[in-house]
Amino acid sequence: MNFSLTDDQELLRDSARHLLEHQCPPALLRAHTDDLTAADDLWHLLDDFVPLGIGPLVDLCVFMEALGSVAAPVPFFSTACLYAPVLEAIGEHDLDSVLDGHATGTVAVAGADGVWHPNAESRKTFVPDAARVDLVAAVNADGAVTLLAAPPVRRIETLDTTRPLYDVETAVPGTSAGVISRAALDDVLLRATVALAAEMVGTARRLFDMTLAYAKERIQFDVPIGSFQAVQHKLADMSLDVERAWSAVYYAAMAVDAGDPDRTRAMHVAKAAAGEAARRAAKDGIQIHGGIGFTMEHDLHLFLRRALASEALLGTTGDHHDRLAELLF
Amino acid sequence: MHLDWGPDVVAFRAELVAFLDEHAPPQTRTRRDFATSDSDQIIPGWAKEWQATLFDHGWMIPGYPPELGGRNATPVQTLVYLEEMAARGIPRSLHFPGYAIVAPSLLEYGTPEQRAMAPAAIRGDTVWCIGMSEPNAGSDLAGLQTRAVQDGDRFIVNGQKVWTSYAMVAQRCCLYVRTDPDAPKHKGISLLILDMDTPGIDIRPLTHINGNADFAEVFLTDVEVPVANLVGALNDGWRMTQGSLAHERAGLWVEGVARLEQTITGLVDLAHRRGVAHDPIVRRRIAEGYQRAASLRALGYKGFTSFAQGAAAPEHSYMKLASSELGKELYELGMEIQGAYGPVIDEERGEEAGRWPLSFFVSFANTIAGGTSEIQRNIIAQRVLGLPRA
Ligand SMILES: Cc1cc2nc3c(=O)[nH]c(=O)nc-3n(C[C@H](O)[C@H](O)[C@H](O)COP(=O)(O)OP(=O)(O)OC[C@H]3O[C@@H](n4cnc5c(N)ncnc54)[C@H](O)[C@@H]3O)c2cc1C
Repeated sequence: MNFSLTDDQELLRDSARHLLEHQCPPALLRAHTDDLTAADDLWHLLDDFVPLGIGPLVDLCVFMEALGSVAAPVPFFSTACLYAPVLEAIGEHDLDSVLDGHATGTVAVAGADGVWHPNAESRKTFVPDAARVDLVAAVNADGAVTLLAAPPVRRIETLDTTRPLYDVETAVPGTSAGVISRAALDDVLLRATVALAAEMVGTARRLFDMTLAYAKERIQFDVPIGSFQAVQHKLADMSLDVERAWSAVYYAAMAVDAGDPDRTRAMHVAKAAAGEAARRAAKDGIQIHGGIGFTMEHDLHLFLRRALASEALLGTTGDHHDRLAELLF
Repeated sequence: MHLDWGPDVVAFRAELVAFLDEHAPPQTRTRRDFATSDSDQIIPGWAKEWQATLFDHGWMIPGYPPELGGRNATPVQTLVYLEEMAARGIPRSLHFPGYAIVAPSLLEYGTPEQRAMAPAAIRGDTVWCIGMSEPNAGSDLAGLQTRAVQDGDRFIVNGQKVWTSYAMVAQRCCLYVRTDPDAPKHKGISLLILDMDTPGIDIRPLTHINGNADFAEVFLTDVEVPVANLVGALNDGWRMTQGSLAHERAGLWVEGVARLEQTITGLVDLAHRRGVAHDPIVRRRIAEGYQRAASLRALGYKGFTSFAQGAAAPEHSYMKLASSELGKELYELGMEIQGAYGPVIDEERGEEAGRWPLSFFVSFANTIAGGTSEIQRNIIAQRVLGLPRA
């Protein structure tokens, strides 16, 4: 099992990192909290990458990881990881304008319970970016896909503001676009879950990196706090969790790309491992920062918020463990 | 990135499987993940024969040349070998010091005479033990005090070793001694080869908490060791404490992870037998174990990828830490699932002849021996993450 990135993947990673480091500073996340259009310019720099959504999953994960490390507040996940593959699965010709970067979209599946299973409820929940994309693809109980322009939405306030989530009322006029089979929808969600896990690993690593740097520079008792063993051992455990989650994500991506029979288990493992890593990095990250980490002025909470919100999206860590259990017993 | 290792591995694996099907003795096929003694011998006869058979067919250390029990296998082939053995639960040897630690050190640092001892160490014809730990030198190994004073063409050794695995059955010992008490502690240590039948050695077995007497205290009183038995230079012993199969290190985790996976399968079976297979808490905890083992396997392969490309692979410490800790948790869960029967080792009343409680006991050794979990975290923090020492 070869984990090395190809030259093309390295190039993708480096250019994404470079661009995001400059174009998506924490100040943008703060501006976006009050005004969602603050990230529009960033989105226009990133919409070239939408075709990754229907390409090899390893490449998509490389890009998502970079987005996660800056908590990019753009509708990439909704457009590239959910909407484009749904259009592709139903053979919708509008896919081209999405891949060109001209149109954005998102997908509405979950009902009131927040679980992404097709259902008959007309009010869909936890729909990412619903108010700022061109079309919402609503999937009903039998897989019929309806494209809705500007349906009634209600923002669900969560801890995180970088990826706004909405309730969407789907019993409104729209365009029937076809039917997605259960297997095809499962495939889309499997890929999207692994991609989201990659993004979470990026966020977890960012939290870890910030904390490691702080542990090296913050002086107490005349020494860097990173020389205290209680702090060192927390950091060692954080880094272990990030490393294993990274590996689990790319293993899952490789398994999906290869059509390997282990891919469904690997997806659950990836999302759950990323959830554990993100949660530990968030909690211990704040602890190691002490009081400064508890302030709005410090940037840490921006990533803490994104980490916790992502952990709850497309199945919590506990949900993925439970679904894994279904496959083990 | 890709999942498979390419075509040269397929033929290699097939050859190994054919060999194992033909030669592996029945005792290696029990797929047990626990170490209860099925014999009053520490190294039973079948295990000796099996190790020699592996050596003679070039399957003992595949990365070595044939005269050292191998077949010049590539790193990827070596990994495949370790995977296949681990998946089948087949041990190479029941005494690791000789082939895994002593032979590589002798080959790297030894004189021609000392290097000539390596094949027998690998084949298992000579049983070796490692005399590192002392009552006052455990994690702080460099604090060892066993003293060796040169007197003409011999050293006179006095001191005490402890936790010395296999001391009671070993013919030779890799003995770490202090040869310069005035130098800084890492700089006054030397490595000697000790014949275990030399006068002045008193071996007192210590019993593991699971009941096996596999290690011992070793008292050394005016023991004479020829100067020719000094390995490497005088006072240069510290760097040889790190010796192990460098080219296998990136794959040695496979065995630990495979054992975790077998333990998880065992937990699922156990939950069915105990009528708790539908208990949501039991199910979730077993799935968590699966997730942690699976993510560790992926991390192991990632580390192997860096290693095979010649980069440093710090994953070794992560793997040691995480798999030993997870093992302990899984056996504990196995006990918990049995409720009041958790600690039962009575074959008639308990599950699987005490598999869970006895394995739980044995699993404590894994978070202590070879560097405790706390020491692994120190290593990760200081050598991998670059944090300052206290
Ligand atoms: C089954 C088994 C087989 C063994 N076989 C051999 C053998 O063949 N040859 C041999 O030489 N040795 C052998 N050992 C010894 C083994 O290497 C030591 O037990 C180990 O290195 C720990 O040393 P110690 O037992 O003295 O514990 P100590 O070093 O006294 O540690 C006690 C506790 O203190 C903690 N601690 C110590 N230092 C630190 C630190 N700096 N930071 C944080 N915590 C710390 C440890 O983690 C541990 O929890 C064996 C041990 C076992 C259990």
